[in-house]
Amino acid sequence: MTADSAMSFLIPLPVVLALLGAGVCLAVGHNARAQRVISFVVLTAIVGIAATLLWAADRDGPQVVYVGGWPARMGIVLVADRLSALLLLVSAIVTLSVLVYSVGQGIIEFGRDTPLSVFYPTYLVLVAGVSNAFLSGDLFNLYVGFEVLLAASYVLITLGGTGPRVRAGTTYVVVSVLSSMVFLIAIAGVYAATGTVNMADLAVKLQEVPEGVRVVLQLMLLTAFSIKAAVFPLSAWLPDSYPTAPAPVTAVFAGLLTKVGVYAIMRVQTLLFPDSPLSDLLLWAALLTMLIGILGAIAQSDIKRMLSFTLVSHIGYMVFGVAIASDLGLAGAIFYIVHHITIQTTLFLVTGLIEIRGGSTSLEHLGGLAKAAPVLALMFFLPAMNLSGIPPFSGFLGKVALVQAGVDRAGWLAYLVVAASIVTSLLTLYAVAKTWNRAFWRPRTEEPDEVGEWVPSTGTKSGEPWGDTVTVTSVRSLPRAMVAPTLTLVALGTALTLVAGPLFGITERAAAELRDRTPYIETVLEDGSMPGDSAAGEVSP
Amino acid sequence: MLLALLIHLVAAAAAPALVSRLDRYAFPVLALAPASVFVWLLTLGGEVAGPDAAVRTETYEWVPTIGLEVGLRLDTLSWTLALLVTGIGALVLLYCTWYFRAYDPALWRFSGAFVAFAGSMLGLVLASDVLLLYVFWELTTVFSYILIGHNPERIANRRAAMTALLVTTFGGLAMLVGFIMLGESAGSYQIDAIMGLAPSGAATTAAIALVLVGAVSKSALVPFHFWLPGAMAAPTPVSAYLHAAAMVKAGVFLVAVMAPTFAEVSLWRPALLTLGVVTMIVGGVRALGQHDVKLLLAYGTVSQLGFLTAVVGLGTRAAALAGLAMVVAHALFKAALFMVVGIVDHSAHTRDLRKLSQLRPAMPWLFGFTVLAAASMAGIPPMLGFVAKESVYGAFVDVVADGDGTGIGPVAGSLVLAGLVVGSLLTMAYTLRFVWGVFGDKPGVERPADLVAVPVGFAAPTAVLATVSLVLGFFGSALTDLWAGYDHLFPPGVHHAELALWHGLSPALGLSAIAVLGGVALFVWQRRAQYVPTAPWMPSAERSYEAVMRGTDRLAVEVTGRTQRGSLPFYLGSILVVVLLVPGTALVLNRTWTDDVVWFDSAAQAVVAVLMATAAVLTVRSRRRLKAVLLAGVSGYCTAMLFLLHGAPDLALTQVLVETVTLVIFVLVLRRMVPYFSDRPLTRARWLRVGIGAASGIFASGIALAAAGVRIGDPVSVEFPESAVEYGGGHNIVNVTLVDIRAWDTMGELSVLVVAATGVASLIFLITGRGGVQSPANPLPSHQDTGRWLRAGRTLSAERRSIVFEIVTRLVFHTIILFSVWLVFAGHNGPGGGFAGGLMAGLALMVRYLAGGRYELDEAAPVDAGRVLGLGLAVATSAALAPLAFGGQVLQSATIDLHLWAIGDIHLVTSLFFDIGVYLVVFGLMLDVLRSLGGGIDADAEDEMPDLPGSYTDDESTPMTGGAR
Repeated sequence: MTADSAMSFLIPLPVVLALLGAGVCLAVGHNARAQRVISFVVLTAIVGIAATLLWAADRDGPQVVYVGGWPARMGIVLVADRLSALLLLVSAIVTLSVLVYSVGQGIIEFGRDTPLSVFYPTYLVLVAGVSNAFLSGDLFNLYVGFEVLLAASYVLITLGGTGPRVRAGTTYVVVSVLSSMVFLIAIAGVYAATGTVNMADLAVKLQEVPEGVRVVLQLMLLTAFSIKAAVFPLSAWLPDSYPTAPAPVTAVFAGLLTKVGVYAIMRVQTLLFPDSPLSDLLLWAALLTMLIGILGAIAQSDIKRMLSFTLVSHIGYMVFGVAIASDLGLAGAIFYIVHHITIQTTLFLVTGLIEIRGGSTSLEHLGGLAKAAPVLALMFFLPAMNLSGIPPFSGFLGKVALVQAGVDRAGWLAYLVVAASIVTSLLTLYAVAKTWNRAFWRPRTEEPDEVGEWVPSTGTKSGEPWGDTVTVTSVRSLPRAMVAPTLTLVALGTALTLVAGPLFGITERAAAELRDRTPYIETVLEDGSMPGDSAAGEVSP
Repeated sequence: MLLALLIHLVAAAAAPALVSRLDRYAFPVLALAPASVFVWLLTLGGEVAGPDAAVRTETYEWVPTIGLEVGLRLDTLSWTLALLVTGIGALVLLYCTWYFRAYDPALWRFSGAFVAFAGSMLGLVLASDVLLLYVFWELTTVFSYILIGHNPERIANRRAAMTALLVTTFGGLAMLVGFIMLGESAGSYQIDAIMGLAPSGAATTAAIALVLVGAVSKSALVPFHFWLPGAMAAPTPVSAYLHAAAMVKAGVFLVAVMAPTFAEVSLWRPALLTLGVVTMIVGGVRALGQHDVKLLLAYGTVSQLGFLTAVVGLGTRAAALAGLAMVVAHALFKAALFMVVGIVDHSAHTRDLRKLSQLRPAMPWLFGFTVLAAASMAGIPPMLGFVAKESVYGAFVDVVADGDGTGIGPVAGSLVLAGLVVGSLLTMAYTLRFVWGVFGDKPGVERPADLVAVPVGFAAPTAVLATVSLVLGFFGSALTDLWAGYDHLFPPGVHHAELALWHGLSPALGLSAIAVLGGVALFVWQRRAQYVPTAPWMPSAERSYEAVMRGTDRLAVEVTGRTQRGSLPFYLGSILVVVLLVPGTALVLNRTWTDDVVWFDSAAQAVVAVLMATAAVLTVRSRRRLKAVLLAGVSGYCTAMLFLLHGAPDLALTQVLVETVTLVIFVLVLRRMVPYFSDRPLTRARWLRVGIGAASGIFASGIALAAAGVRIGDPVSVEFPESAVEYGGGHNIVNVTLVDIRAWDTMGELSVLVVAATGVASLIFLITGRGGVQSPANPLPSHQDTGRWLRAGRTLSAERRSIVFEIVTRLVFHTIILFSVWLVFAGHNGPGGGFAGGLMAGLALMVRYLAGGRYELDEAAPVDAGRVLGLGLAVATSAALAPLAFGGQVLQSATIDLHLWAIGDIHLVTSLFFDIGVYLVVFGLMLDVLRSLGGGIDADAEDEMPDLPGSYTDDESTPMTGGAR
């Protein structure tokens, strides 16, 4: 027999190919064009691989690979179940789009003289880290995945080396290191108690650990992941560090990195600690994250900062679903993750375009964009409404599932969180509409008293008139290579509505798989318990 | 039915293109969309309306997981509303053709949004799934936001749009929760299933209350009425549509849909009747106070919506019939009247009734139709408005008489009826004010100067609507039959309800007479007394709304200021506090502690541990950066010592090398930093930090103790020694672990090294503004003297040079490099490995750099560090991928035994190639770090201090070496 499932040879590829690409990118040095081509090819390949994995995982159950042929408990396993494969696919699509966008932005944002050569390899390493985190079936390797993506993100967040970025980067790096330390202590504790870091193995063995210790370990892991996922009160670092980075970097961070934390919470909660859901604690965390986050968003006058706060706030929705821990709650949370990765990335990319078009992301300086750049306006409006949970967009669909799960659970706390999620939805709409009113509707030159004085911005202020020609001309002033991927993501985010039925089907099956646990554990352990079945074939005695 | 919606969708999508081709003549084309649906609906009248009404349904799957499906149904109620939505929609679109100026640049957006709005409203009345209903409900909100903000240049318009958006979304969200509560208890989101729920129980009552919040806010009832007059900011066609057929009717529609079952819910009737009557009166009084005729009509709508809600919400068969008639009547006359306002505004360029005068001669026909529509509004026979109002009175008279199955007592019933009559009286008064205001001749007011003639097409929709209002008044019994499909959902009342112009001398007729005559009297009195009600006694909902929004903004700023300090120490502290509070509390509560604690295996361990702890404490206490770094190094070396004492020389070797490299790097960096840490915080804060730090340390130890104490079995690593040899082909377990068992981890960490190195290099490059940090600096100029031992030795100043060091470096460099390579090959069985080897080679480079400066470093390694790093990563990953080609698994290793002539047997494990990648990456890292943090900073420092002794510069005019000075 083969120890590995049919598509298993594909599982490591998203990580290995990305790293290989990164290595080759560096090796070709300053040849930016070669770097672009390599990055594009690698990320496209990953999209294909991820799609295949999702198809296989949805058809045949979890896909497992024993790296190096080592048996499950000893070596590292990578597992692509529905959840992992789905998130892998979404993140691959998003990273590919952002890559194209950043190619378009290249000259503008990074300048001609800066070492562009760092961006592509680092970006590929980031992708490798994210993919690894999603695929890992090993707690320590999950840590490695986090380290990889964090190390890459340290470099990306300080890209350009300006004062604000280095300052923001300092906050980001130090907080991340602390979170990694918490994670590492938790892993040490887990290994000390159980003698294994294989997650499937842990799923079995942790049940034998006395409850008192188990809860400590669980809470440590949750705390570590909550820092990464930006759950209140561990979220303050995020709005202070994300917004200063270049638009594509912020976009991909906002879309992906916190979701990796949420993914980890979800995986650990369902696989390792199924009997100890800590629902009340998580519900409180969800409630506070939603409300405090969205209040932060209202208080901002800069689009990037506003979006960073909505990011924090909406993490609360996902935690809400995890806390409910029913099939519907988890399905809703997974759906919401998919939705939020797409939409939050899109909005940050659009904000990058706004910055180019309007010379700023500050609401005090922006104005009149609906008239000057109608397509840009549409590109903002659709995802913004989506984020606010306006139907029929995906944000609404995810929210409905979560509210249904909350109502099903009943109890005052669940209703309270449902109420908070509704208030958050309304306030998100408020924050977004405020942005729209000011940046897009308010005329640029009039009524400076509304939000302070208008400062003329540099750059692209072409005087198109209102009228039928506007639709085309305004976009021309933005780089096509940036507009095209943004439009693609806008379309993708909107299309989530159309494919919501099948997508919800997958998330529902993924949620059921998470709650069932046996497919995961059995696939990993049963096959892997025969040590080195395939390895032995290779090794000469 | 789906087709009907799709027609609207396509029309909306095509609207911008049409407008750019045809300009405003696109509107008649667009009107075809609702018009065609209107005609189609008319043909269905026999099927879905009348005494034998059947329900037509269509269902398409959408998101079964959450019970959301595209379920559409056409029954009498939705058919009636759909006719209004499409019919009036088509007329308003026609009207738009004349309303807008030619080449209005925002028309493309308007036209699309308007058609989409109409389509959403149609979807709303057709939806049979409450979630789908909510979808369309919110879509009407969003499109109305866009339409109200059609002219966003004015701040008032933007505000009004935002207010409408937030208020109706607020209600909508409440309604959504209500729907979900209902749907979850019914197990389905189909309206039919939900209507099957028992109208009792706390959950259902709460859910219905939430749903009603949605209906009330959408239909602009008190206390949400203020958004509607603000929505006047929209162009008049929008107002005509929004007030008559769409948007605000959604709330009334919802009440009508749910009334057959949920009118029995305890709070339904009290809430709707009270709010309805209050709204009717408040709106009426406000309308009397307006000078802007459009605003007058808007408040009139508020008043009428209160009226409609009260009637439709009553939940008797008579009221249902009357309510439906009233809804239709209202839609017809209100749309007509708004259009009149738009026409007058267009012609006279004002809507202020104090400036409008002597318009009748200019537009006699329009005046006639206005009077017809207004008569319907005021409830004057023979208009449909009168017929409907008569029936309303009849229905409420029945309630006053014996409750008519509603359980309402005579007193309460009388109060409601009285309120409705007062409201109708006010309606009569403001109707007169409107007609007089627009067409009346005011003494001393000139006819507006530049009066524009009214095109026939512009007035035609008004004429149609007014005529229909008139004609339908004569078809009372036909309408009664038509709407039987709806009112028969309610139990039969005490009297057979029928729409008719003449019911005989009934109480209802008397009430109508009171309302009409009273209204006339009120109007006359108001004109005489010049009284304009300002209603200061009413609590201003608008002000409350603003206060809430301001409060929210302030709360947001306060909360954000508290939590978002922008201080890294605060964030770190809060994270640690959370760690202490959450897992920490759990640890304190833990009851499973082992008694079997071995404090140390040997005395040496204890000594090293104490040393380590002391060094750690001193590190934190030191004020000097260098001292802190050195002390941290002590902790690190102590760790290596512990490894050694545990019998892990390999780990110890690696740890020592890492510590050494780290120390050197730190020192390189510290050269350019202030020697002391910044000022310490105040005492109290310091003690707090000390406390948090100490508690965190204790907590971490506690976890170690607790976790290790409950160990439930042998760790996997006990199998490593055997497996390492058997499968990994090596005796050095650490190395086999790194390059085989857990090579996947290693590969990840390699990439960490790569990005860290390149990232640091790039930052240093950017900050120092120096090119080529990653690649060798300019080679030594050829004419320069080269050093005897090290080629670049002379680039250093005499003070920094040490001949002995140079000689030693010259002698050992290649030896170390060779040794490092040997470590790689030996690593699989003995201490060593790619990591240690790379570090060793890096140390060799470091020695070269320290002895001969950055030029010597370039001499030693004339390669781009980034390329080495990249190559290393590429080699490692290629080695990882290679087994796939041989049918193996990623990173799978194989053993190859070779017999080579002189060297003898070579036992080669393929993981060696991976280890070579590791070696290259570590080597590249070291080169990179030395170049950027060493050489780069050197160069930066020299630039800043060119005159200091010992500095080196490329300038030929200055002496090359310090030795010459």
